[in-house]
Amino acid sequence: MVTTRLPNYLRSHRKRLAFSQEDVAFLLGAGSGAKVCRYERFVRVPSLETALAFEVIFRKPVRELFAGQYEKVECRVLARAQKLLETVDEGEPNRIAIQKRKAIIDLAAAGDGELNNLS
Amino acid sequence: MSRNHQKNSRILAISLTNRGFGFAVMEPPETLVDWGVKTVRGDKNAQCVEKIEDMLNDYAPGLVVLEDASAKGSRRSTRIRILCAEIVAAASLRKVGVSLLSREHVRRVFFGDYKGTKDALAGILAKRFPEEIENRLPPKRRPWMSEDYRMAIFDAVALGLGLGAIHDQQDRRHGMPHLRT
Repeated sequence: MVTTRLPNYLRSHRKRLAFSQEDVAFLLGAGSGAKVCRYERFVRVPSLETALAFEVIFRKPVRELFAGQYEKVECRVLARAQKLLETVDEGEPNRIAIQKRKAIIDLAAAGDGELNNLS
Repeated sequence: MSRNHQKNSRILAISLTNRGFGFAVMEPPETLVDWGVKTVRGDKNAQCVEKIEDMLNDYAPGLVVLEDASAKGSRRSTRIRILCAEIVAAASLRKVGVSLLSREHVRRVFFGDYKGTKDALAGILAKRFPEEIENRLPPKRRPWMSEDYRMAIFDAVALGLGLGAIHDQQDRRHGMPHLRT
């Protein structure tokens, strides 16, 4: 695996489809290709709507198009999940807590991370 | 930089030309992330270095690979040799490793016996990366033609893959599993 992924791979996918930045800007409903250039050069992060539009245009999931960004977010969420797990484990061991615990562990398993104290 | 880290690094391969340079950004094992040609005018070296520095900032490669302009038998111009040194300096400032590969080495990787034209090499690479660069394949060069500017893209991709071949060779020598297919 590469040490760190790029924030996004928009340019890579655009070039594979032989689209210009102006073509993609038109499909996004944006004014000019300059906006697309800013996304491709990691200067700006697109809105959710624009990210979803990219998924439609390139027919690749947002997670794949914004691989580096996704990894960062995943890392932060897993760190918070660890803290949440500790909170859950400190409380009453009722059915809700058990279900919540399982959800947090499944969350980590679905990602590439690991949580501590899973006994 | 450890050999393992080098092998897993993003590579920026650059092929210097009279008009600017061709480039290829690659991620292991063999994914082309970006590719193209940059054309410069005026103070060519300064402009090339500026554009390459932008790419170093944007792509944060772990390695830069260039043609060894000072290799035995190399007929690159003085300007290109100086530019090569400037790029090495720019990369080193950013603590980015640099590999210099000779043309002979690249030919050996793809043709085994040093014989093989640039057109043939470009054809091989176009088949290997059809989505990415097949549509940039220039027509076969005739004796009266200058080299097509798009050939620099294929030269850059060849440099990137040539570096990968070195890493694989080193792995084999050290008894490590061959990671590339």
